[in-house]
Amino acid sequence: MTTTDASSELLDVSGTPAVPFTRLVAVEVRKALDTRAGRWFSASIVLLSLAVVVIYAFAAPEDSRDFSDVIGVAGAVLGYFLPILLILMVTSEWSQRTGLTTFTLEPHRGRVVGAKLVGGLLLGAALILVAMAVAAVGTLIGGGGWSITADVLVKGFLVANLIAILTGFAIGMLLMNSPAAIVTYFIYSLVLPIAVGVLGSFQDWFADLAPWIEFNTAQGLMFQADGMPSGEVLAQLLVSGTIWLVVPFALGLLRLLRAEPK
Amino acid sequence: MIMVDHLTKTYGGFTAVDDVSFTARRGRVTGFLGPNGAGKTTTMRIMVGLTPATSGSVRIGGRDYRDIPNPGLHVGVLLDASAQHAGRTGREVLMIGARTMGLPDSRVDKMLELVSLTPDESKRRVRNYSLGMRQRLGIAHALLGDPSVLILDEPANGLDPAGIRWMRRLLKSYADQGGTVLLSSHLLNEVELIADEMILIGRGTIVASGTKESLLSGEATSTLVHSEDNDALGRQLAAAGHTVSVEAGGLRVDCDSPTVGRAALEAQVVLTELRSGAAGLEDLFLSLTEDTQREGHPAAATAQGGTA
Repeated sequence: MTTTDASSELLDVSGTPAVPFTRLVAVEVRKALDTRAGRWFSASIVLLSLAVVVIYAFAAPEDSRDFSDVIGVAGAVLGYFLPILLILMVTSEWSQRTGLTTFTLEPHRGRVVGAKLVGGLLLGAALILVAMAVAAVGTLIGGGGWSITADVLVKGFLVANLIAILTGFAIGMLLMNSPAAIVTYFIYSLVLPIAVGVLGSFQDWFADLAPWIEFNTAQGLMFQADGMPSGEVLAQLLVSGTIWLVVPFALGLLRLLRAEPK
Repeated sequence: MIMVDHLTKTYGGFTAVDDVSFTARRGRVTGFLGPNGAGKTTTMRIMVGLTPATSGSVRIGGRDYRDIPNPGLHVGVLLDASAQHAGRTGREVLMIGARTMGLPDSRVDKMLELVSLTPDESKRRVRNYSLGMRQRLGIAHALLGDPSVLILDEPANGLDPAGIRWMRRLLKSYADQGGTVLLSSHLLNEVELIADEMILIGRGTIVASGTKESLLSGEATSTLVHSEDNDALGRQLAAAGHTVSVEAGGLRVDCDSPTVGRAALEAQVVLTELRSGAAGLEDLFLSLTEDTQREGHPAAATAQGGTA
């Protein structure tokens, strides 16, 4: 029988600092790439955008082979698939049940979610840089000019991909299930804009309403506008963005912070 | 070290854990024993903050789990060995843990060696692991941060007999060095051999707790005896005021074996067999959790125990 006094039954944590946030971010980035699925998915995005850009460089009309055109193509491919990387970062904790370990090693879930988001943004930034390099290759092949406006770069490339990253993250948190989240994301980004477009072509009032209630449509108007979008377009972005991004993000976050990892 | 205080967890109308209180102390292996679905896992999940308690609390070393900085360095947890990304290699699973806790990579190799996963096996994906290998990996993960508290849910599950013996020795030495070990099991034999103290839980409530000896001390003494003349011996014992019944070709008497031996000497009867007829821990366990068993006739399940 071991005799124990009260103090020996206490944990001495004086020498242990909390896990630094930067370390959590590094771990989340590592987790996104350390499975065959994660690695191949990232590599596939790059290869696919390279393939599309090369085809574009040969097939596009002579006057549309400038860097500013090609980068839009590379960005579009990236924008479709980048969110899936973010979705998997969130949902694998539940679908693969790794959350049991993750949330035990860092019980403050808000920090884990923050680390995932920052890690996802870093990964996204890295892929954006790669996509820019891919676009440069495409421009060389196509023999286009190198002029590019900040407008194209910021709106069409950075903002679009940032929104895509956040959308993926929100859907991942909301559904906490890999297949369901990926299907939902494609319905949201592919099916929904088409449905809205079809409806809008039949009913004028719906065509006017669409940018207010459908985020993709609103984003499309933003990309079409030259320079800073008008007040109306900004307001449409704000309203539809609240419906499709802010609210799902907030609800998803609440759900994730409370859910029991099984 | 682990203090569970009036812990209750309800899911809608279902009470998974019902006013559970117990303590797991330093330097001891505490066995958490109960049939499937008794609330062991839920209790352990609440301990590490994965599941919120409805009421009551758990303190580990005087703290809420959430308030332990870098908890992997203080509390080693294994809740479900299969809860790992199937596409990650075993080594990578440990690498992630080591990186999170801020440990050097050499610690990973050390732990792999400790749980006897070969370098070759550690490079395979968890998808291709047997349950026993996953269990070893899970134990390695729990020990990674050299914690002073271990919380293990069914750690012997899937291990072969040699593996179970290995784990028993490992946890025993861990406790001997001052660690706190809480392990759950639905198999009594597993816990009986290793636990200094046992907590028996059935349908969310604790039905008994204490050391093996103290758990059995409450049981009525009883002796089983075979002799060349059971009738004569029976008469002698009955005359001494003991209750005697015929059982399985011998006698069951409600006294200890020396008393039976003396009675045999007085009656000049040759004993052919003499042993304690007290219900074992298994019978105690089954009787205590009787109304919580899934089987309709728990007695039938213990027929080989000799008391049916």
